[in-house]
Amino acid sequence: MSKPVRFERVLIANRGEIALRIQRACRKLGLETVAVHSEADAESRHVREADVALCIGPPAAARSYLDPDGLLLAAKLTGATAIHPGYGFLSENADFADAVEAAGLTFIGPTGASIRMMGDKITAKRAMRDAGVPCVPGSDGPLPADMEEVHALAREIGFPVIVKASGGGGGRGMRVVQTPDELTQAVTLTAKEAQQAFGNPTLYLERFMQKPRHVEIQVLCDTHGTALWLGARDCSLQRRHQKVLEEAPAPGIEPDTIARIGERCAEACRRIGYRGAGTFEFLYEDGVFAFIEMNTRVQVEHPITEETTGIDIVAEQLRIAQGEALHIRQQDIRQNGHAIECRLNAEDAATFFPSPGTITRWDLPGGPGIRVDTHVVSGYTVQPYYDSLIGKIISHGATRAEAIARLRVALAEMRVEGVSTNIPLHQDLLADPQFQQGGVDIHYLERWLAERTES
Amino acid sequence: MNNAPKLIPAFDTLPDPDEIARIAGWLADAGLESLELSNDAGIRLLIRVPQAAQAEEGQDRLPAPARLAEAVDTVAATAPYFGHLCLTHPLRDVPFAPVGAQVSRNDVVALLTLESLQLPVRAPVSGEVVDVVAQPGALLGYGAKILEIRPDHQD
Repeated sequence: MSKPVRFERVLIANRGEIALRIQRACRKLGLETVAVHSEADAESRHVREADVALCIGPPAAARSYLDPDGLLLAAKLTGATAIHPGYGFLSENADFADAVEAAGLTFIGPTGASIRMMGDKITAKRAMRDAGVPCVPGSDGPLPADMEEVHALAREIGFPVIVKASGGGGGRGMRVVQTPDELTQAVTLTAKEAQQAFGNPTLYLERFMQKPRHVEIQVLCDTHGTALWLGARDCSLQRRHQKVLEEAPAPGIEPDTIARIGERCAEACRRIGYRGAGTFEFLYEDGVFAFIEMNTRVQVEHPITEETTGIDIVAEQLRIAQGEALHIRQQDIRQNGHAIECRLNAEDAATFFPSPGTITRWDLPGGPGIRVDTHVVSGYTVQPYYDSLIGKIISHGATRAEAIARLRVALAEMRVEGVSTNIPLHQDLLADPQFQQGGVDIHYLERWLAERTES
Repeated sequence: MNNAPKLIPAFDTLPDPDEIARIAGWLADAGLESLELSNDAGIRLLIRVPQAAQAEEGQDRLPAPARLAEAVDTVAATAPYFGHLCLTHPLRDVPFAPVGAQVSRNDVVALLTLESLQLPVRAPVSGEVVDVVAQPGALLGYGAKILEIRPDHQD
């Protein structure tokens, strides 16, 4: 492995709250920041506070935040020698990671090879199985062309099964099959869709878990052979495969169980030479963990792990990219209390339609155990071009009950005018007895919403 | 699908230049490169919007709608990409378009330098250069104003 070149100026190839989060970590470490932005984000907070700001294109992401050549040229012109991709946009684009390093710059994230391996669900699963990470029963590889063999495989796995596209993810390119007579059609349709959407018709098959929870493990790995796991997060509250509210640790799962699975994840990282921050996502049902995918970047919900462990994950990403060894040891990592994050979206709380517009009032909550990660200030205009995340309210308490109580007070204090937000939805969720009990499955929120609409 | 005819305007005759400019503006904003319309009578309209990165090919650059709206007084030549501003031809000492110069639409009025690459900045209208607002050598962002042109009346 080549010796990393130290950098002093970081180009932030993202926007919104995560751009500001990265900027804060850079400033803490004495690093300069370059904010590249689209015309629509010229007034953004991180743009104003950057050492160098450069408008690189029009609002369309394809010509700004998703333009690899533009980002590389911008780094050259502004003297940035490292690029932090944040989440979304080009953060899990292996070719971009390779291009950054080929240009002699530092990509703050794993190698292109790691991203590529984890981006393909089949190779990812194979790598995990080899490393002893538990996986959901499935085809363990691409589906055979012969439908008879596919049927035999499905019988062996056990119905219901789910057909998934190898190139898919984030809820796209998958289909649940309840009975054998639906299988042939489901496979044909999904292959066709996968070809259109991802340019790759390869499919695989897995047991469809009925009422699983989404539990994930945060890892942090340096380039000196140290791989740490930082505990678990429960992100079961989802709507259309988008996380709505997350908490750490996962309620009701024994710390020993998490430790065992965490150690397997860390071992997998050592085996593949993983570098930087990453997340192993699992379905969890009846004590069984099943690996779904690895996210090779920082995640939206990273703050709840920061709150419970006291580790600044984004600052660690920067230090690792500088070639430094992790100074934290696994035995020193403690799970301190409980943290919950709710994602604030500019959207209608009932219909979920995006609600772009100018925010005329933005009163933030405070007090012990409350953290707000947001790029929004009063007068900020929520753009229609990008996702509707306007911030995250994170609460921390000695117990889960205290974290819930603090978050409820915080949401009640929050005043937003000018756009609609999903604050009412979060308030109702936090008041829900089933949620308060803990451990709801990934379908709970959609069922709950459907029942609410009916009544 | 019943709403489709209302959303898509009738294409019986060629739209006027202002309408074409407006459509081109939409395409540019959406990051699209071309739009093709045709009808049964054989009328075919192809609108191509030169994307910033390909502007050096010297295609006909259509003014964006914002620039048309400002046409009351002066029209700005803006950066079609980002880069360091060069106001004089690298091989000559003469500025491309100093204050007082008469320029024609699509004339090169400045260059943007990105590493070894140079992109032309073209005049959006014909007229007289009345102000140069950007500093030579400055790193300009996409869309930054470079100079102001007072359009000719016949333009």
